[in-house]
Amino acid sequence: MSRSLSTRALVLPGLAFLLVVFVVPVLFMLKVSFTGETAAGDYFSRFFGSGAYFSVLITTLRVSVVVSFLTLLVGYPISYFIYSRPERQRPVLLFLVLVPMWMSVLVRTYAWMVVLGRQGMVNSLLLDLGITATPLKLMYTTGAVYLVMVQVLLPFMIVACFSGMSEIDHTFVRAARILGASPGYAFRRIFLPLSLDGAVNGFVLVFMLSMGFFIVPALIGGPKDTMMANLIEIQVEQADWGFAAALSVVLLVATIAIMFLIRAASRRFTFSLAEGTRP
Amino acid sequence: MTRRPGIFLTAYFWIVIAYLLMPVLIIVPLSFGRQEFMHFPPRSFGLRWYVEYFSSTPWLESTFRSLRIALSSCLLSTFLGCLGSIALERGHMPWRGFLSGMFASPAIVPQIVFALALFIAAVALGMTGEELLLIVAHSVLGLPFTILIISSALRQIDPTLERAARIMGAGPVRGFFAATFPSLTPSIVSAAIFVFFISFDELIVALFVMGDKQTLPVRIWTDLRFELSPVIAPISTLMVAFTVIAMGIAEFLRRKAVQQKSQMGKS
Amino acid sequence: MRRIWAALLLGGLMSLSTASVWAAETIIISGSGGSLTDVQKSVYQEPFTRKTGIQIQNIATTNRISALKAMKLTGKALWDLTELSGPEYQQAIEGHYLQPLDWKVIDPENKMPKMAKREYGLAVASYSTILAVRTDKLPKGKEMKSWKDFWDVKDFPGPRALQKGALDNLEFALLADGVSKDKIYDVLRTDEGVDRAFKKLDEIKPYITTWWTAGAQPVQMLANGDVYYTSAWNGRITKLAADGVPARIIWNEGSLKPSFNSIPVGAKHPKEAEQYLAFTISDAKMNADFAKQMPYPGFVPKLYDYMSKEQAESMPTYPPNVAVQFESDNSYWAKWRAKLDERFQAWLLQ
Repeated sequence: MSRSLSTRALVLPGLAFLLVVFVVPVLFMLKVSFTGETAAGDYFSRFFGSGAYFSVLITTLRVSVVVSFLTLLVGYPISYFIYSRPERQRPVLLFLVLVPMWMSVLVRTYAWMVVLGRQGMVNSLLLDLGITATPLKLMYTTGAVYLVMVQVLLPFMIVACFSGMSEIDHTFVRAARILGASPGYAFRRIFLPLSLDGAVNGFVLVFMLSMGFFIVPALIGGPKDTMMANLIEIQVEQADWGFAAALSVVLLVATIAIMFLIRAASRRFTFSLAEGTRP
Repeated sequence: MTRRPGIFLTAYFWIVIAYLLMPVLIIVPLSFGRQEFMHFPPRSFGLRWYVEYFSSTPWLESTFRSLRIALSSCLLSTFLGCLGSIALERGHMPWRGFLSGMFASPAIVPQIVFALALFIAAVALGMTGEELLLIVAHSVLGLPFTILIISSALRQIDPTLERAARIMGAGPVRGFFAATFPSLTPSIVSAAIFVFFISFDELIVALFVMGDKQTLPVRIWTDLRFELSPVIAPISTLMVAFTVIAMGIAEFLRRKAVQQKSQMGKS
Repeated sequence: MRRIWAALLLGGLMSLSTASVWAAETIIISGSGGSLTDVQKSVYQEPFTRKTGIQIQNIATTNRISALKAMKLTGKALWDLTELSGPEYQQAIEGHYLQPLDWKVIDPENKMPKMAKREYGLAVASYSTILAVRTDKLPKGKEMKSWKDFWDVKDFPGPRALQKGALDNLEFALLADGVSKDKIYDVLRTDEGVDRAFKKLDEIKPYITTWWTAGAQPVQMLANGDVYYTSAWNGRITKLAADGVPARIIWNEGSLKPSFNSIPVGAKHPKEAEQYLAFTISDAKMNADFAKQMPYPGFVPKLYDYMSKEQAESMPTYPPNVAVQFESDNSYWAKWRAKLDERFQAWLLQ
């Protein structure tokens, strides 16, 4: 009992830190914002009353979910590849994945403009090869937002998936193989469910980061690619703290709701994978 | 799973790496351009922007400041996150769900709101413009990631081994370090990487609270408002080159050590 | 009990900080940062420090109205002097964040034009949102001269860009619709006028490749050839031409905006800040030096005596350029910007 108490106490430094640096200032700011001439409820009805604002929320959710799925689909096999290499090669391969992170997102966004622009590399190539007669519109589209956001967030996903995989106790997989399971079967029934924890982590991390993105959509998205974070930034610029706080609360609730859904869905998915019957 | 991956997976890996490295491939040649504007491909080559970078104290200072802050906050955040995760996973914690939610909140509350809130607190306490303030802020922003990654690793690690060590007479700290810590290392390292890069590229909080002590992203951003100075190209290039070289040396030393060991074994 | 907790929290935070103490002779200026501040440092601040011994510390800021609001809330002013855009200046006055300036100290000889001397601020610099054109992409024998031409997609085909937001665009739309420069804000102050502007924007909307959000964007897009015609801040367009990109500023119907330097309420060194302001307008040659490096000139008389004609022609406050532009109305935008931006956002999503 005393041991578990002293283990519990380990949460205190982090918790105290979180309270002092984050929770108290943010709650204070929300309190200040909502105690003005305008009642808090009016800010929310302003949000839900205007179709434009609501569609920004929908855009934010859509972009975040799509980006999270894309990074998972692209990233999981990469992590698996790195994991399947001999142990001494892994750091070098992981390092390759992390190299682009040394460039600020702003700089990377500008680099992508060079690639995707009207007279950019892709268009020059297509024109030279005669595939198109007029330059394609690649920049300032939702597709460009996905392409760049996935590039920015992919390393996070790969690292999360990989660290999930490297915790798997290999005796399980080996045992399955000794008992006569095919490699594919062992992968599906044992490795995949066990590595899913890391994949779900990666998904959640990328999702949370996406919900707060605004630089990439603002610089290379189309006219309709406005994100919630962008809208909140505009309110802070105008010193309309009340509306900024209301928008944040909306974003917060939406994010938490989606995260619950992800957790619930992944639990059922892992369960159904692991509970499959032998062939 | 040291089964050889198929040719398809290998090819796929290199395609994705090319995609990830695309901005690097663009920025490196740009850094050797000589024009006022970022134009690809550069029309004339030279070291103009490298000279500009190395002769500019503000740029150099902000580079080192960013590195310093990122390193400090990744250490602090990983340490706190590690302790917190152990408590959450091994302490039979009451209110565990609520506490996990609390720790996730800095990643969910929009950064600009946190930035403004922290700014109000910092102004009230007269501590704007302190590097320590930003280190603390970035550590908080990193906590959700460290807790998430390390907790999930702890859930997968069998506590029996640590229990066995304790029964054999190891103290709680020694028991942890001998039995659990080794399998926890990959997650701790990846958590630290997360926080480092989140801090290294964080703009909004730094813009609010740092005053005259600009970090690299702030410096890039303030420049971007009027013009995009090509100085950012050599900075990015140097960062990449520096890490590639460091990694290369580390890899070389490791191979040499392995070689020496095997030779010693033979003699 | 609650107080003890609060004290503990405060104490914890305090002990983290190594309370910053400023020497009495340091003034803190909040500005744009980046290369603009670098030039201010070398042209104004270093000579000022040499002359008076007063040190200057520059901090780069955005969201200044929110920051001023936070300072008022906590009762602590961090800045002695702050740069403010026109609408920000108006908002800051309405929030009572600024203190009045003592013009007897700043401009004892009374030489500055009235436009630059406001109750709470000195107009220190100016910039324009102008029409910028890639001249090599113009149809043969044609010149783009006005916003009417910008709207004319038949005679001037090609990709275009405008800034994201209502500011400037409503004015440009009305000009394209035939409203004269001096009537713009009369029209915009009526509901029908705003509707008219949005209706005119409907026409151009399908031809806008992107709505830019950062000042560097239109410049970069012109350089890449992503757009042929765009609204832009005047600053770097002239340098594009020097760099081999055939781009030109159309001053006609540009939106001229002064930006201000003001002293926040509760500033610790208001006297020194006023001394600094006085110094910056004391010498026209110094102002010319600044404008040559950063084409955002102030309003000091005789400024253009120290510039070549070619240099002067690239400045927003050069008299012949002023004559063809209109002055952006701060009080209008301070009052309506939030509402109009909201409508603009909704309009974009339609």
